[in-house]
Amino acid sequence: MSTVVKSNDLCYLAIAEASAGLRRKDYSPVDLTEACLERIEALDGKLHSFITITAERARAQARRAEQEFASGKGRGPLHGIPIALKDLYMTKGIRTTCHSAVLEKWVPDYDATAVLKLDEAGTILLGKLGMHEFAFGGPSVDAPFPAVRNPWNLAHIPGGSSSGSGAALAAGFCYGALGSDTGGSIRTPSAHCGIVGLKPTYGRVSRYGIVPLSWSLDHAGPMARSVEDCALLLQAIAGYDAKDAASANVPVPDFGTGLREGIKGLRVGVPRAGWFDENLGVDAATETVFNQALEVLKNLGALIVELDGKPFSIARKANQTILVAEAYAYHKKTYQETPMKFGSTVRRRILEGAFLSAADYLTAQRARSALNEQIRANFKRVDVFAVPTAPRPPDTFEGMDPNEQNLRPSFTNPFNLTGLPAISVPCGFTPDNLPVGLQIAAPPFEESTALRVAYAYEQATPWHERRPAL
Amino acid sequence: MAKEFTIEDLRVLANLAGLTLSDDDLQRLLPGVKRAQQQVAVLRAIIAPGDEPAGVFIASDGDRK
Repeated sequence: MSTVVKSNDLCYLAIAEASAGLRRKDYSPVDLTEACLERIEALDGKLHSFITITAERARAQARRAEQEFASGKGRGPLHGIPIALKDLYMTKGIRTTCHSAVLEKWVPDYDATAVLKLDEAGTILLGKLGMHEFAFGGPSVDAPFPAVRNPWNLAHIPGGSSSGSGAALAAGFCYGALGSDTGGSIRTPSAHCGIVGLKPTYGRVSRYGIVPLSWSLDHAGPMARSVEDCALLLQAIAGYDAKDAASANVPVPDFGTGLREGIKGLRVGVPRAGWFDENLGVDAATETVFNQALEVLKNLGALIVELDGKPFSIARKANQTILVAEAYAYHKKTYQETPMKFGSTVRRRILEGAFLSAADYLTAQRARSALNEQIRANFKRVDVFAVPTAPRPPDTFEGMDPNEQNLRPSFTNPFNLTGLPAISVPCGFTPDNLPVGLQIAAPPFEESTALRVAYAYEQATPWHERRPAL
Repeated sequence: MAKEFTIEDLRVLANLAGLTLSDDDLQRLLPGVKRAQQQVAVLRAIIAPGDEPAGVFIASDGDRK
């Protein structure tokens, strides 16, 4: 048996398990770090999930954590846990590329707030992860770094834009990761890679030091292999930050407290009518898996309530309009100076924003107010929303058609527009063995509710235990 | 109903925006621009006169940093 296979047992531990093992001294932070680095070295050539591997820094951090453990200076459940970051989180002294030639050699001189918080929690940084260029468009074929591949089937995309975060977790390269989400960029790769990803409420996690895509829609959040691990990561990064203009000064609860309370009597709203059948609609295998997931929730004591999906469907149009307008505003100067440094996909998407007027943008922001009210009004009747995370399984690189993507419903966009917390949890596989995600969205600042539903579902099903064959 | 965008419209707007785009670039952009305009038309139809844009300016937020 190769050492890589033996290290799998360590690499696929949940954060809570790994943390308990560290406290018991079953292994050390150095052991965990070396196991991850060895696995990355052996297997990431197939996946391209990492852009930059910070092996020496990780080893130094691991040795420091080991000393701290030895001297009884525990820093909590993330102490000594190897993690990785989407390559748009600014990291002091480590290049931050956004997967683009524009920033290929850029080394920030400060850390993002979320990065600082993870560092204070004692995590070990393994490196920076691949993504869609500037978190926009799709996998780039003409970027300076190769596109990330899906660990479940290398011919397929992993979803984006936090593609490296999804792939690295599914491959057992790290225990947790951070992503960012402007239209679904945490939840989609989580669904396509068979892991868990949480987009918190807008304002819950600071975006200071994260390269923006769209200021009013960008969210930062955790990705992991289990719901509990996501809760642990969220606990570390949540909280008010005066450096982020959108940061919410609200109390941060203990996200682990209610996790095991179950969902008996919880009302789950399914906004199916007028949304699932929009244009090309939902892929049949995906909807079958989703309906089976609803049955599981019912068996756990939840009540399923069908809702009008029309406002959710229209929300995508407002999200897309705001996103391209704000993205163009952010990138305009760089684009005018060095257009050819942007990859072809992101170039085309950014330019769409150049042809929107100020009135168009404000129309979308006014629609946002109206849709936000309509969507949130449903919380008088239900406690959470449930939908598939993605309308179909991940495309192959060869068969990817951006025009067709626009003809499918987006189940993620409405929760960026409304800022509601939403989590994706593995809920099954298609006949081709590609993962499917169940998305649960909750009222603002009720991440605990979304986590509780996702945890109840996860514990009742075996999907999170499956691993891709690499 | 609003007039549909043409390549010529895009060329004029691109010049005004200080962008130098080839005919091929404009051709590739046209479907996305048309789709964006259709989206805005749908949004215009759902807003009421009293709906203000999301993300209003809050005067007391100036000293946060």
